[in-house]
Amino acid sequence: MSDHAVLIHPATWFILAAALSPFLNRVKLVKPVFLAVPMLALALIYLNRDISLFGQVNWLGFDLVFGRMDKLSFVFLHVFIIMAFIGALYGLAVKETGQKAAGLLYVAGALGTTLAGDYLTVFIFWELMAFSSVFLVWYSPRAKARGAGFRYLLIHTLGGLILLGGIMLRYQATGSLDFGPLDPGSATLAEYLIMTGFILNAAVPPLHAWLADAYPEATVTGAVFMCAFTTKAAVYVLARGFAGFEALTILGAVMTLYGVFYAVIENDARRILAYHIISQVGYMVCAVGIGTQLAINGACAHAYAHILYKALLFMGAGAVLQMTGKSKLSELGGLYRHMPWAFFFTFIGGISISGFPLTSGFVSKSMIIAAAGENHQPVIMLMLMLAAVGTFLSVGIKLPYFIWFGPDKTYSPPPGEAPWNMNLAMVLAAFLCIFLGLGPGYHALYALLPYTVDYHPYTAYHLSETFQILVFTGLGFSLFIKRLTPKDKIAMDLDWFYRKGTPHFMVLVRQVLGRLDLWATDVYRKVGIRMTMALARGFTWFDINGIDWSIDGAAKSVVKGGDTLRHIQTGKIQHYIGGAVILLFAVIILAVIYKTGA
Amino acid sequence: MLRLLLFLRQHARTLKWTFWGIIAAVVVFDCFAPRHHPHFWGDYIRGFWSLFAFLGCVLMIVLFKGIYHVWLMKEHNTYE
Repeated sequence: MSDHAVLIHPATWFILAAALSPFLNRVKLVKPVFLAVPMLALALIYLNRDISLFGQVNWLGFDLVFGRMDKLSFVFLHVFIIMAFIGALYGLAVKETGQKAAGLLYVAGALGTTLAGDYLTVFIFWELMAFSSVFLVWYSPRAKARGAGFRYLLIHTLGGLILLGGIMLRYQATGSLDFGPLDPGSATLAEYLIMTGFILNAAVPPLHAWLADAYPEATVTGAVFMCAFTTKAAVYVLARGFAGFEALTILGAVMTLYGVFYAVIENDARRILAYHIISQVGYMVCAVGIGTQLAINGACAHAYAHILYKALLFMGAGAVLQMTGKSKLSELGGLYRHMPWAFFFTFIGGISISGFPLTSGFVSKSMIIAAAGENHQPVIMLMLMLAAVGTFLSVGIKLPYFIWFGPDKTYSPPPGEAPWNMNLAMVLAAFLCIFLGLGPGYHALYALLPYTVDYHPYTAYHLSETFQILVFTGLGFSLFIKRLTPKDKIAMDLDWFYRKGTPHFMVLVRQVLGRLDLWATDVYRKVGIRMTMALARGFTWFDINGIDWSIDGAAKSVVKGGDTLRHIQTGKIQHYIGGAVILLFAVIILAVIYKTGA
Repeated sequence: MLRLLLFLRQHARTLKWTFWGIIAAVVVFDCFAPRHHPHFWGDYIRGFWSLFAFLGCVLMIVLFKGIYHVWLMKEHNTYE
């Protein structure tokens, strides 16, 4: 890669800042650098948005492309970098430099994946994301975070291996590592393995449990970072490679309801939000599956809007966790007296995610629903609408209601508002959520989308539809509020299989495989060793009496023969003449006998 | 902000009536909203999404919470 390409790749600066973070910390520059790097990256992508390809490297015969800039990658880079800045501001007071470095590397991974033009580069940055983000879980002081981090890492390692397997099979079949749109009609095992690796990161059920397991255990800032990058980078790679794969439409629509289901029943605020990521990413995966221009635009717009309002919600819930030490709805309530601004910001996030008019969700979610409608898929459309009802129910109303209102709880000491940097980050995100819902904002967003947008969100019917959905969901909530009161319990999910399954597996290993191993060792010791010894004795006998006898015997015969020959050779000429005469007579006699006989 | 929230809480009755007013207004609005791009039969029915949202919401609360209580609800030490 030329020096120039290294400098214009935004991930370089994040990696460099992460590598230098111990020194930056010593000279007290880590905070300004933490904020400056995203600004530099934003400037870089704007300055270089016309360079379509950069950083092309031939490495061991592989053609790698580190930078591919087009409208699809640009919109994701744009929101990733803005999110990196908001996250950095929110986590400005984080004490551990390592956690900050992990955050920087994580962003670098997401940016590198988005810019990658070949599968191998995708894989490298894909793994960077997994291996750096796990530290955002491990830095959490909660005891459960350690196990959750390990499970997160193991699942992502599995996903990475499936992806790599697919990449290698595809390389073997086509001889190319180019990462571009694939044809659903000619997809083989290789392409489906790659897709499986991608949808694991998009948290598509049944490969989703890692998300709801790990994100709620991450640090306050870590969760804000994590909710933005892994799943949305997965949406990007799916949009790049797998647009129009119908399986994704169905999986996505199921996802939207699956996430909502758990968001309705869960008790932990950050787990509700984590499950709700699954629901929201479902809209995007579904849109990628639909694959029309409107749908892909919708997926990108929704990813953009979602990153901002979901981060805002995680920031609100994180601020509550930071100030009260609690995140379970059953332990919270009546916080509006202590943290009214945190409520206000979370409320903005809540109405944005629910698609209130004048917020970002209204202009992005509806694109996907309209795309399903225009593609004549009414069942998918109704599933997405039902998920919108569930979204407002779980995240729009239930979550803020049980944290800030609901039954009053006592707090000791009484919590105050979050620190200024956290509030400022929330102000920024809340501003963008509203801005994107207004004319100039959504026109700017639509201008970033990959295809030309011919979609108008503010029609009378769309407004009417949205108002009905929101108001009647509110009515349902107010009538059934008692049924929704959260309980201090957990909800089983598919991680049960490996969390409960692992002890059973260990029992199988210890009780069955372990015993089998001991038995085999015993059998070997008793039978195997004796057999070996007997065999060795047999070979020794054969060696002595067979091989040695024949070789030694041959050697002795040669010596004896040589000795006899030595005695015959007297060195006297008379003996030789005599011998020759005897030999001559003998030949003559033999010839005569032969002749007479014949 | 706190003052605003306290004010709203003090006027909960008024809020409740406002809410009912909004519900009525929304349904009335739908009766007059023009349908330019109807996607399926439901789009022609006045108040379809009101019914959809209300029934959907109630169904989700009852069904999801039901499944949770009967099957998925576990103690915190389940995985320990």
